[in-house]
Amino acid sequence: MKPVLHLTWEYPPWRVGGLSDELKRTLPELASRVQTLLVVRGDKDETSEIDGMRLYKVSSSTRSCPHVLAYIHALNIDLVRGASAAIHDSRKVPIVHAHDWVSGLAGVYLKDIFRAPLLISVYSTELTRSKLLGSLLSMGIYDVERHCFDKADRLIVKEPGMREHLERQFGITPAKILEAGTADRLLEVYRVVST
Amino acid sequence: MRVLTMTWEYPPHIVGGLGRHVYNLSVHLASKGVDVSVLSFTDGTSSLWEVSEGVKVTRVNPYVMRYPDFVSWIQGLNMLMIERASLLGNFDLIHVHDWLTAYAGIALKHLRRCPLVATIHATELGRRKRLSNESEKHIHEVEWWLTYEAWKVICCSNYMRDEVQSNLGCPPDKISVIYNGYDPKMAPLNSSPCRRDGKTVIFVGRLVYEKGPHLLVEAANLLRERDLRFLIVGDGAMRPYLEGLAKRLKVSDRVEFLGHVDDDRLLSVYKEASVMVIPSLYEPFGIVALEAMSLGVPVVVSNTGGLDEIIRDGYEGLKFQSGSAESLAEAISRLLDDEKLRAIVVENAKARVKDFSWSKTTDETIKVYRRVLDEYGRGEWKPGVLWK
Repeated sequence: MKPVLHLTWEYPPWRVGGLSDELKRTLPELASRVQTLLVVRGDKDETSEIDGMRLYKVSSSTRSCPHVLAYIHALNIDLVRGASAAIHDSRKVPIVHAHDWVSGLAGVYLKDIFRAPLLISVYSTELTRSKLLGSLLSMGIYDVERHCFDKADRLIVKEPGMREHLERQFGITPAKILEAGTADRLLEVYRVVST
Repeated sequence: MRVLTMTWEYPPHIVGGLGRHVYNLSVHLASKGVDVSVLSFTDGTSSLWEVSEGVKVTRVNPYVMRYPDFVSWIQGLNMLMIERASLLGNFDLIHVHDWLTAYAGIALKHLRRCPLVATIHATELGRRKRLSNESEKHIHEVEWWLTYEAWKVICCSNYMRDEVQSNLGCPPDKISVIYNGYDPKMAPLNSSPCRRDGKTVIFVGRLVYEKGPHLLVEAANLLRERDLRFLIVGDGAMRPYLEGLAKRLKVSDRVEFLGHVDDDRLLSVYKEASVMVIPSLYEPFGIVALEAMSLGVPVVVSNTGGLDEIIRDGYEGLKFQSGSAESLAEAISRLLDDEKLRAIVVENAKARVKDFSWSKTTDETIKVYRRVLDEYGRGEWKPGVLWK
């Protein structure tokens, strides 16, 4: 199977919300069964090992951003720097697995340039967080989410409720959405997109 | 040599000097055998792909998404550029212009492990004088990021080199100064007769604070005893303020706002002009000065930025103290009153503009490209995976 490169803006010891601990529960187990690369925002650019994974930490190149959308655009260029190093150094095109919209753009860029299969795990969306698109900022975030979801080969959700939400609010076809809440199920998905 | 150029403005979408620089550079590069692809912007009124004057032009339309502000609009444009670049084949080098395409240039540099060259035409700190909100700070930081990531940085004047060094902390050995050129296509039309009456003062440029158009309106007030008319060519956010200022100072009858004009009308304005004023508070280069000089229009310029390097006071034009309407009014009077000085200035200016041409700009740029590719070729930083 192809190696799997995960893109995320948080992994322990860095925590922004629940995603960090969520990944800590699944990624080490996955890493024991498939070669795993992890690209995550950190305090400096550094390559090391963590929980059986090759870790590519990238520092933020900008400190000031007018809003979260601008920050995420810039962060994804930083994530691209780490992911590109991982891919060129390993000389292999991996499966790219991005976690939520915050790292989805980097996934899209990697897919376009390297023709890498792209999976995006969706834990929440702007609509589930804000309830309605009440500002241009929310609309802008929704549009980026929709763009990333459209470009992904598969979207991964943990619960049927999110599958329904993606179908109804983003017009995603049911066949593109996979429910995978465990490492076993994720490995099945990786095998499918790897071939 | 295959070069991918990324720019937010390219004909027919032109905002300022950056677009004219990229257009002329690209066309001249193509004419000198460089394989140039330009990735730029469209609002839906220009084609998504064309070959124009030997340059392959691909455009993306950022209006497919919604944005809360200009920064995220630019980021959306860059996002689409990165994605579209995957369809444009192989390149030896990427060249981006200003922070406006920095995100895409930096991403593609790492994705393709391809060297990046950046031209800094102006900086946020230079334009604003201070960084007063998060957007301005972000733009400033992206400029730093771009010069950090670039293999070489090109600036259009020594003034800009110093600014990039001091404001962005860019090492001096990374910067090359390459002057802009001007478009000699306008020159042949100079042969038709001029109607210079010794009374017409013109301004050509965007009506934004850094170009200093308010100083000309204030100078019009100071020169109210003289029989003069002032033609202001160009448009911008400052126009309503300037029209109001002219009204308040009771000079509306002598200050005429022509708005944006086509090249034919611009030439007729140049032919009527007895003096052209460039009162910029911030001017990295000042292409418009070269155009006026080549057309035999004597210039009065502020003693700032690139203008200070192009023109010697009393030789190729007159200089005035940047920001001072009194100093500007005095210089206009001096030039209009002294026919001999005007003739000397016009003669010297015509000789001086020969030092500037887009062909020369292009040759210098190719030298930078060759140096970068030579260093890149000898290094170890190469792609481990080729894109498909």
